[in-house]
Amino acid sequence: MTSPDPLIATIRIAAPPTAVFPYLIEAPLLARWIGDATGSTPEPGGAFALAIGDSTSVRGQFLTVDPPKRVVFTWGVPGRDVLPAGSTTVEIVLTPDGPDTIVELTHHGLPRSEVASHQAGWTGLLDVLARVAAR
Amino acid sequence: MTAAAGDEPGPDVVLRALADPNRRQILRLVRGTELPAGQIAAHFANVTQQGISQHLRVLERAGLLSERRAGTRRLYTLRPEPLDQVRAVLAEFWPAALTQLKAAVERDNPPSGGTS
Repeated sequence: MTSPDPLIATIRIAAPPTAVFPYLIEAPLLARWIGDATGSTPEPGGAFALAIGDSTSVRGQFLTVDPPKRVVFTWGVPGRDVLPAGSTTVEIVLTPDGPDTIVELTHHGLPRSEVASHQAGWTGLLDVLARVAAR
Repeated sequence: MTAAAGDEPGPDVVLRALADPNRRQILRLVRGTELPAGQIAAHFANVTQQGISQHLRVLERAGLLSERRAGTRRLYTLRPEPLDQVRAVLAEFWPAALTQLKAAVERDNPPSGGTS
């Protein structure tokens, strides 16, 4: 069971999609905006691992890598009963707009309260959120 | 169903309630079931009954537990509604990350600007 309404975030970047795209898939560049990456294999089925804050590690797998337009990866927190690996997906679409790029990020599958009572897999999310909020 | 949506405690209260691993464990125990305090306490070897009572109060104040009287017993169960507020906190994570992405890309790709 997944959330019917995903989280969506967008931003405009003053650079073309070809300049933005590597930041979505390459470990040293992912580290610049999400968290320290300990590895990234940017191809369908390839895995990545990120450290957010001191003790939250995120594991994911690339599902779609379509440079310089679109990337889709799974997003999970291993060893927690929330956001188990593969339970949610993040889709990032790059659209050129003149010299700029519009970035649209959509996080699908996040648990919601209506399903929390019935669904294992939400309390680890809370661990993550508590840390995000504590920053 | 209790408490109208407008009466929800703020996300800070919810997050503080969730900051304690024992309290998160309590929520796991009462997810989808109702338990009296004694049975909840039985799951914790290192926490006194008093300590559990205190945790239950914090969780109730945060709106994360609902309480029902059954005879002489009080039964507790998860009340998940405040989690929507917490989800809203995650909704702030990605925009913040994208702002960092923008800063990184634009720092590395300065506009060609004037000549050259």
